[in-house]
Amino acid sequence: MKIILRLLLTMLLVSFLTFAAFEVVSGDPAQTMLGTEATQEQVEQLRSELGLDRPFIQRYFHWVSGIFTGDLGTSYSYKQPVSVLIGSKALVSLMLCLLSFAMIVAVSIPLGLVSYRHSGKVLNLIRSIINQLCMAVPPFFTGILFSWIFGIGLKLFIPGSAPGFIHLFFAALCIAIPRIAMTVRLLRSTVVSEMNKAYVRTAISRGNDRSAVLRKHVLKNSLVGVISFLGQTLAELVGGAIVVEQVMGIPGLGRFLVTSILHRDYPVIQAIVLILAFWVVLSGVIADLVNSAIDPRLKLAGEGREL
Amino acid sequence: MILFGYNTCMMRKHGFIAGILFLFIVLSLTGCSKNTSEEQKDIIRIGIAQDFDSLDPHHMQAAGTKEILFNVFEGLVKPTSEGEIVPAVASSVEKSEDGLTYTFTLRDGVRFHDGKDVTVNDVLYSFRRRMDGNDSAAKLASLSVIESIESQGNRIVIKLSQPSNEFLAAVMNVYIIPEGYSDLESFPIGTGPYMFKERVFQDSLELVRFDEYWGPSGKTESFIFRILESSDALILALQSGAVDLVVHLSSDQTKQLDSKQFDIVTGSMNLVQALYINNAVKPFDNVLVRQAMCFAVDRKAVIDLAFDGYGIILGTSMFPSFAKYYVDELTDYYQYNPQKARDLLKQAGYPNGFSMTITVPSNYTPHVNAATVIAEMLREVGIDASIQLVDWSTWLDQVYSKRNFQTTVTGVSSDNMTARKLLERFGSKTGNNFTNYSNADYDSILARALTEADDAAQTKLYKELEKNLTENAANVYIQDMADLVAVRQNVKGLVFYPLYVLDISTIYREK
Repeated sequence: MKIILRLLLTMLLVSFLTFAAFEVVSGDPAQTMLGTEATQEQVEQLRSELGLDRPFIQRYFHWVSGIFTGDLGTSYSYKQPVSVLIGSKALVSLMLCLLSFAMIVAVSIPLGLVSYRHSGKVLNLIRSIINQLCMAVPPFFTGILFSWIFGIGLKLFIPGSAPGFIHLFFAALCIAIPRIAMTVRLLRSTVVSEMNKAYVRTAISRGNDRSAVLRKHVLKNSLVGVISFLGQTLAELVGGAIVVEQVMGIPGLGRFLVTSILHRDYPVIQAIVLILAFWVVLSGVIADLVNSAIDPRLKLAGEGREL
Repeated sequence: MILFGYNTCMMRKHGFIAGILFLFIVLSLTGCSKNTSEEQKDIIRIGIAQDFDSLDPHHMQAAGTKEILFNVFEGLVKPTSEGEIVPAVASSVEKSEDGLTYTFTLRDGVRFHDGKDVTVNDVLYSFRRRMDGNDSAAKLASLSVIESIESQGNRIVIKLSQPSNEFLAAVMNVYIIPEGYSDLESFPIGTGPYMFKERVFQDSLELVRFDEYWGPSGKTESFIFRILESSDALILALQSGAVDLVVHLSSDQTKQLDSKQFDIVTGSMNLVQALYINNAVKPFDNVLVRQAMCFAVDRKAVIDLAFDGYGIILGTSMFPSFAKYYVDELTDYYQYNPQKARDLLKQAGYPNGFSMTITVPSNYTPHVNAATVIAEMLREVGIDASIQLVDWSTWLDQVYSKRNFQTTVTGVSSDNMTARKLLERFGSKTGNNFTNYSNADYDSILARALTEADDAAQTKLYKELEKNLTENAANVYIQDMADLVAVRQNVKGLVFYPLYVLDISTIYREK
């Protein structure tokens, strides 16, 4: 219940802020739609048709009441219901983000543990260089690079055509790479500090196998921080998706958002921002739930009981 | 023990994730084999940098939409690549002696894409829709000279309130649509050589050949327009083979393409790129300042530095493809001369120059690049020019509509092949005179030109207007930008128009 309330409140606030932001930013949807050939009267007329001549608060409440009846409004540029327009785009972006997230989880957790176990001076140096490099490379650059190597060079997919699965796979990889690097580093440093704790020493001194201790006890304790981070990652993946969708020509929400902002297509912007806000809040909630499943102490604390 | 229990749970979770990943990898490998077989069909793919705004021919505003739907719709008359206006849906046009009555005879056997014959009622409906404009966008201002329109048998008779040499150009833009058809937005129907097949928002649009077209039929069965907003994505799509042709590229972009695979064809954009000056604000209300700026800018260097030498230098608001109206001597009216610029500034009362802002729409790289070079040149003579990048909507709102700017770099074009579109906007009373140019002589010549019935006399007046703009340094005119088109080498038949249109009916793939 609390979660749902939090969700609603966040989304309401975010939508209000977006609405307000476009009040401040200059640029008028009617003028943008009609372009340079339009007369002033035509612009005024279109403004009133779109309801842009009404006061800001009135427009906002109209929009919010529409949401509750399931009406996201009509796109200014496409003159189609927003829900129809964004349905398929949302699916593409969801696929992209989930795929990317699956890669991050599946690669970074084993890699984090491996990198702890196999430490040595030279190895550490190499690893840390690769790690820094991966973290520093922005997704738009890897996007272009991968399109070149895997698209044009190896012909695994055709950049610029309707995206198939492999196309999405490489796009997801572009978004995942910096995040994988960050997660590996975080996990490794948490494991290092965890391994120095008293319970580990006790467990090992009782004759337990070192790697079994690592796997059974240390990993679980280290994961709490990592999962919060992964929750945050899940939320931030959409940011990467916006960029990569542009560069790799994937018709997803991010690309749609950018063009809608350029055209000041408010109903579309509002709807996408709403979805993104929902996604961000949801990621946080999921991370909390997973954490409290792993570590019951968090659950107790969450319910307000003393330990 | 409890700890251990959780642990196995975690391991199971890992197994699950690994399973998903494995599935993805398998899927991706099997996906490899599918995309080779469908190359046999007669399809040419064209990359475009923006989505379509509206598919209703009376509502579309974006130049990029008009450019392509030119193949779907026709008016009673239509333009040729030589810049002439020829009969299309009408088979002949007669103009009365006094220039006040036009009679169009409907061509036999012209059909809409749904198979129905075009009737006079469809024509009347289309005209009325554009004249009355039941909503803002549909109304075409250039039709306001029409006094009456009626049908006589298979003829359409239009009476004008005053003679107008631009009337046929206006008729050209009244696309004929079926009477009462209300689905234009989602499924447009016209009479052109290509018909609409499918649209995926933000992704693509497909046009297919209309086999019952009255004129020479298209050479290729199907065209798919792929929307790729990012310029990197466009180039990648060319290189990967996803698209065969992209228009309006920059010289930087074409340099990335392999010349063994692509031909770069050069046409002209037919627009007047200039440093447009807000003539109403200080210090630009002083003609000496504006002239100083004209002398300060080396237009050839702008073209060399920012456009790799592609482009035609201009000296006024007219470009050479409108040969009839073009005055060549105006091009070199201001020879690059920084010393003279400094002298003029001194004379104008700005011995130490001044500072100014060039507001440029950031999505138009050619304008941004030109502005960058111009700013450097102005700095040479003591004018401290800084560049402000804004997005297109902001530019339209602040610069074009509210005229709240000092200078800007943009391109002005004529969408109906008339000189009027290029020159009328500098009249002090004209609604879209965003430069606030105000000159009594100009206004009086313009008024005469617009009502002049005799074509030769009108042309002469238009030339005087061009001269007036140059002499008073209304703006720093730069160039008519080159239109660079990348075409895959086996794709032939591209024809340039003196208009912003892409005629696909002549394009084909060599077998």
